[in-house]
This record gives sequence, structure tokens and C-alpha cells, in this order.
Amino acid sequence: MKARAQALPGHEINVEEQRRLSVDGLLPSTVMRPDDADDAAGGLHACDLAPAAVVVWGGGTQMPLGAPPRRYEVAFSTERMTRLIEYEPADLTCRVEAGMRLRDLQAALRAQGQRLPLDPPHPERATVGGMVAANTNGLSRGRYGTVRDWVIGIAVAYPSGKVARAGGKVVKNVAGYDLMKLHIGALGTLGVVVEVNFKVQARPEKDATLLGHFDAAAPALEVGLKLARQYLAPAAAIVLDRDSLSEFLPPPLAGEGRGGGPWTLALKLDGYAREVEAAKDHAIRFIREAGGGVEEPEIPPAFWDAARDWSAPADDAVVLRAIVPLTSSQQLVAAIPPDARILAQPASGVVDVRVPAPSAVETLSRLRLAAGVEGQVVVSTAPVALKPALDVWGPPPPGFPTMRALKQALDPNGILNPGRFVGGI
Amino acid sequence: MQAADRERLLAQIRGVVGDRYAFADPYEMRLYQYDASPETALPDIVVIPGTAKEVAQVVKICADARVPITARSAASSLAGGTVPVEHGVVITFARMDRILEIDIDNLRAVVQPGVVNLSLSQALKPHGYYYVPDPSSQGACTIGGNVGTNAGGPHTLLYGVTVNHVTGLEVALASGELVQVGGRNAAEATGYDLTGILVGSEGTMGVVTRIWVKIQPLPPVQKTLMAVYPDVATASNAVSAIVRTGILPAAIEMMDKLSIQAIEAASHAGYPLDAGAVLLLEVDGTPQVAEELGERMAKVCHDNGASEVRVARNEAERQALWKGRKGAFSAMGRLSPDFYVMDGVVPRTKLPETLAKIDAISQRTGFKICNVFHAGDGNLHPLVLFDAFKAGQYEAVLRIGDEILKLCADAGGSVTGEHGIGLEKRENIRYVFSDDDLEVMDRVRRVFDPQRLMNPGKVFPGEGLTPSHAPMPPGYPRRQPGAAVAAGDDLWV
Repeated sequence: MKARAQALPGHEINVEEQRRLSVDGLLPSTVMRPDDADDAAGGLHACDLAPAAVVVWGGGTQMPLGAPPRRYEVAFSTERMTRLIEYEPADLTCRVEAGMRLRDLQAALRAQGQRLPLDPPHPERATVGGMVAANTNGLSRGRYGTVRDWVIGIAVAYPSGKVARAGGKVVKNVAGYDLMKLHIGALGTLGVVVEVNFKVQARPEKDATLLGHFDAAAPALEVGLKLARQYLAPAAAIVLDRDSLSEFLPPPLAGEGRGGGPWTLALKLDGYAREVEAAKDHAIRFIREAGGGVEEPEIPPAFWDAARDWSAPADDAVVLRAIVPLTSSQQLVAAIPPDARILAQPASGVVDVRVPAPSAVETLSRLRLAAGVEGQVVVSTAPVALKPALDVWGPPPPGFPTMRALKQALDPNGILNPGRFVGGI
Repeated sequence: MQAADRERLLAQIRGVVGDRYAFADPYEMRLYQYDASPETALPDIVVIPGTAKEVAQVVKICADARVPITARSAASSLAGGTVPVEHGVVITFARMDRILEIDIDNLRAVVQPGVVNLSLSQALKPHGYYYVPDPSSQGACTIGGNVGTNAGGPHTLLYGVTVNHVTGLEVALASGELVQVGGRNAAEATGYDLTGILVGSEGTMGVVTRIWVKIQPLPPVQKTLMAVYPDVATASNAVSAIVRTGILPAAIEMMDKLSIQAIEAASHAGYPLDAGAVLLLEVDGTPQVAEELGERMAKVCHDNGASEVRVARNEAERQALWKGRKGAFSAMGRLSPDFYVMDGVVPRTKLPETLAKIDAISQRTGFKICNVFHAGDGNLHPLVLFDAFKAGQYEAVLRIGDEILKLCADAGGSVTGEHGIGLEKRENIRYVFSDDDLEVMDRVRRVFDPQRLMNPGKVFPGEGLTPSHAPMPPGYPRRQPGAAVAAGDDLWV
């Protein structure tokens, strides 16, 4: 193994670095830090010839996602690829290297009054490439969509040593296959995303937050869903239990002592100023009609950041994510045992559940049952010791033979994140 | 295909769909030799299956016999996407045209591929919802075809194109399997996003038999403005200025002087005849917001050189303004017997220089070129006017088209924004993709279609049997390019 690693162009690494770059307990022997797309392709090609198993690293915020790698020799880091290559505000488009941190990109856009309306957890660490590879989406997906709605072009380094592009720099483009879709959420198993082109949008004129407190989860979810079906849908709608809420807000704001129920629907409204006012009126009416209490607190800015980061905790927690048709989220939430904590997004059919480790296996199977044939439940994060007992992706989806064939076509030697993806890909 | 092979294949296919729904009579098949592009090719057999299962069985029969398969519905493709250039079997969806489910609660609809785009929105309207992508030929084109090309339309500026609104597909693969990918959920399913890669693959990966789409609430008010400019450059700069203000218009359309003259002659939309360019702008919103945004946009238009801004005060006035735009293509008949429409895209800041270059091409070659297009997203539709009966004109026009696409690509844009590569632009695709890029796409294609039977001769360069510029075989008269749009004013881009 040592001899093989030395044949690679990367650097051998010390114990401390090894530990930092470990994945599910496996340690790499080499680290590569390519400078640009071509350099990345060259490095990958060397790994392919070895062959040496590669795990791609961005900010590492989604590293707990997926099954433990079957092999891991080279840590492939995008940390030197952090440039904003092109940005023309009047075109509402930009081109970014994969290693750029999301917070830095948003800062550059904000300086021009614009934004990328994607808000995955931990933007201070999360990279653009990581967000694309892991398809991490934040709380505003109900209104603004997901990564696939904002990526207009991509450059990918393949084990063949080639960099290939798809899409382009314009917001409307149907030339060639939409390979962006293939790489979004592929967890780097088909190639290493090295550059991403986005479309962006103007920042909203105004935003506002509204809390509705309820005695039970069901009416809170129902109001969230009802709002999603309105023209002025909230940018974000989350339903959470009191424990989760008190993590984001000091107790007086968390509804205690004001007759607030144990379940909260938190709404973020944004858009043109008058739209936000109208949306607020709507929301207040719906909450009251459903028997909830309305609050328009002075929300500390950290509230939405904490809610956003909730699904990617730093500790050893187990987080399960259920994705179900919108109307199934009530049934799913009803199946969650009392020892678990919940953050549901009724407008997009996503329910995140934090479970104590001892009951994770049982809760997972219970949720898979409740999600039904149209839903699915994946393990977003879990300690490595638990992973063997948790089937982290669940059964392979329909079309899996095609997925395996795609992997074979683009990474024939299976060097990219071997074993981490769905069905052992 | 040999007559005996054809008979054998026809008998097999009739065993699946019944005698009535598969035929090989050249006279009956004439209808299926063309789409809205100028090219034609006669299929060997046409099949009109009634169910997804029948589609899968037909695909299997064809794959086993190594016969090409081309799926087609309304055949409104402007890029030759549904012309069976390598012959074989054409599968058409005239019988699979049902809306299977309207699921307001989950904000989804489930449709068969032959459902006409507009009819879905019409079915949703009583519920207060609609299906957003509104391509060109909305009244004729089908959602199956929209999935094939990842179709756009004027309102994709704010809401995105077809792929942003499709969450699942059922597809018959070359293996004969019928597979459902994605579904009612948000498009965040585990595994690779096969739905995403299938949309826009122009029928080269499989035959789509069922589609899950997002639906959304109708905007309470759509405010439409017309702004008049002395020339296209000023109008283009106004577009960039509007975008920079932070207003997110639902649509920004532009028409140049020549188009305005044609439109006014045909439909009297009320565009001023002496204008150098007209912008049609639309914002969606609640009544108050739409009113406010309308005023703000009007001011930006004035500040950026508009000589006149007219705001539609009611739905009738709004429809009148759109009528001109929607009838633009059929109005071209007033200027010329034929036209050739391009579908290039440039970054919107490159609109002024690109339009100037197109004008220079027109001056140099003597062919008039109209511009009617989606200015908000830089999607140009230059219409080169010509007369197909004059020797050499069609060939000259193709060369002009090629030159225009090259300059779009060089400006950082694309050779197709919404029509697809099809047959027409499979060589032009090289202007935007390298051999390495195309090689990866081809690998992906071969995963789905190892025998190269799914709509062969499309998307990829240099693999078709008949180059798109070659003369048609004798006995297959070329359709007149203008013919498809001469009839009605519902076909527009």
C-alpha cells in the first residue's frame, strides 16, 4: 500500500492530518490539493492508474452522509480551488471553483445586491462543490427550489484524466445532455466537480419572521402545507418541537409562559415589501383558524442560521431525513417516537429527525414503514459504529441497474468514493 | 429496411397494439415524415400505442430487431428532433393523451406524454393552479415533447424551464423495461437524478410514458407593459437596467422594427410602426405589488430611453399586447414566403453587440433578419426570411444560421435555448462543447442505449446517415418551412 501511495503525485500526510481527513474511521495515506480543474483531472488520472481509492473533500460538512467507504487512500481536497472566476451581475450568473466556500460566494453576490437562494447548513465551511455533490439544500427549498434549479453549468474532472463540461453560462440552454443533474447528489461517485456555474437572483426587498404555536404537530404541519399552496408561499416554513425551538431561541421567546403550545410553525417570508405584508396577513389568519397562537417576536438573526444547521450537527447525533409527498408528512411525524426531535418542512415534504443512538435502528425502520412506497428515509448522519446496523440509503431505488451502469461508464475502476453511495456504488 | 423485414416487424408490433394502430403504408405515413423543421424522412412503420406497457413491448421488439425508434407527439420541433432520419419505427402518442391525476394537495399532476401543454393548464385553472412552462407552441405541443427538449417559453425567465417542473418519469428503456424514476416527491430522491438527465435528452435515452409535474398557484395579477425604443441596442440596455434594479419580471420579450411591421400588418396589436424596438414586460404579483412593480418598471424603461410606455389596464388590453407577440411567427408570412428560425442564447449583457452583428450579417448577405425573442434570458430567435423556391436561398440561409450560432457561442452563450439540438444543430454543438465534453455525454447515452437505436442521428455530431444540409431523396418533397405557421397564430416561439 505504501509503495502504491508513493507513486501518486500527492503528499504523504502526518497523523494529525490523517485524523482530520478520516472518513468513518478510515484514514488516508495521501492528500492531493489540486490548483485548478486540469490539475485535478491529472491527479485523478494518477489515482485511476494506481488504482487508489479517492474521497473528495470540500468543507467536510456532509462527510457523515453515506455508507462507510470500502477503501480510502487519497484525500482529494478542493481547498486550493476557491476562485470566483466570473461574475456579471447584470447577467445574474457566476462561475465558481468548487472549493469556494458558500459564505464567500454569498458575500460577493451580496455586494451587488444579489444572492444564490440556496442555504445549506454551515455555509462558513460548506463549499460550492460539496453542496452540489451532496445536494444539500436548506430551508428555503419549498419556495426557491434545490441545487438542481440553480446550477446552469458544470466542469467535472474524471478518472480518465479529462475535464468535461456540460451546460454553460447562460440561464437558458438545452445544448447537449444536462450532466449537471447527474452530478448533483452523486456524492462525487461519478467525477469530481471542479467548477460550477450558477444563476443568481436579486436579494428580496424585505423579510420577516412569524411564529405560530400549536398544541399538536398536525395543525402546525397543516398550516405550513396550506401556505405552500398559496401564491405568496413562505420562503421557509418549519415545524419543530419545543426542545428544538429552545435550542434556537432563549426561553421567553420560545413561547413558554405565554400559553404557547409545544409545537411551533416558524415562517420566513420574503419578497417585495408589500408582498411580505400580504403574506403575513395570510399566515396569521391561517394560524388562528387552525387554533394556533401567533407571535411576531424580535427574532435574533441567529435563529434561522441555527435552524438551517440543525440537520448537520457537530456532535455524534443520529439524524434521519424522510422525503415524502407533501400530504404524507403528518402521517410520518405521527410515527416518530417521543424520544426523537423533529424539524419538518411541510412545504417540501422533508422531515429531519434527531434520534438517540440506542433507538436509531428501530426508529429508522418505523419511519421507513410510515414513509410508504412513495417516500424514503435516509440516514443523514450517524456515528460510524452505528452505520453497519443502519441501512443508510435504504433499498436501491427503481432504475438502479442504470445507475450502476452509469458508475461503470464514468468511473470504470471504481476509485471515486467506493461504497459510499446508494446500493454500494 | 427490406420489405420482408418490415412485414415481419409490422406483424409483431400489431400483435401488441392491434392492426389498427400500426401501419406501414407510405401514403399513411407521410404525416410522420416531418416536424416543424425543414427536414423530412419517412419512417418504416408508425405505431400509435395505447398504454405504457405497449410502448415498452414495442421498444423491446425494435431493440431485438435493431430497428431505430423515434418518439413523437405534436412534432412541433423546430430542430428536426422528431424526424426519423434513420427511418425505423415512429412511436406517436395520439392515444396517450390523458391527464391521469390532478393532485392539488401535493401540488402535482400526472400526465401521459401526449397531453397538450395548454390543456393541462386549462384543466388546472378552475382549481386556481397552472403548469408553468409555456413553450412556443403551447396550444399544440405536448408535455412528452416538452420533456424531450426541456422546453422553455417566455415565462421561464422567472420560473425555470421544463426540468425545474418535472419530478418523475416513467420510461421505456431500450431493454424493454418500464421503469419509474422519481415521482410525486420533491426531486431529491436517493440515487442519481435520472429524471434530470432524461429531461432534455431528446428521446435518445428512452421513451417517456408518464410524467409527474409540479403545479403552482396562478398569480393573482399579471401586469403587462409595452415600452417603445428607437433601436434594439437601447432596448437591450434597458433590459439589463431592469434586471439590475432587483425587480424579477416574469417575462421580457423583444421585437425589432421588421417584426413590428409584420405583426402590425397581420394582427394590429397596437405596436407603433415607427418604433425601432418594442419590449413587452410582465410582472406577476398581488394586485398592489403588480401595480407598484409596473410603475417601477415603467420608470426604468423611461429612464433608459423609452419614448413611450403603455401599461395594459385590463385583461383585454393585456391580451392585445400579447397577441402581437404570439402571432409574430405567423405574421412573418406578410414579409416573406419562408423563414428560418434560430434559437441562440447569449448572456443578456451581450445582446446589443450580438444584435448588431446579426444586423451586419443581414446587410452583408442581403437576407432580411427579424428578431422576436426572449430578451430577459438572452434567448434570441432570429428569423431569416427567404424564398424556398429560389435556387440556392435555403442553402444560403443555413449558412447564415450557422454563422449566427457561432457568434452566440463566441459571446459566451449557447446554440440552443429551448428548441433542442435535434438534427439541425448537431454539428453546431461543437461550438459549445469539446470532443471531451461530447465523449462523456456519449458514454452516458450508451448506458441507456448501447445499440444506438433511440432517436439516432440527433444531438451528437457526425453520426447521422443523412447530413442535415443534404438534399432530400427524390420523391420526398421538402416541406415549405413556413407552412406549419401559416395556418394559425398559436404557434410561436
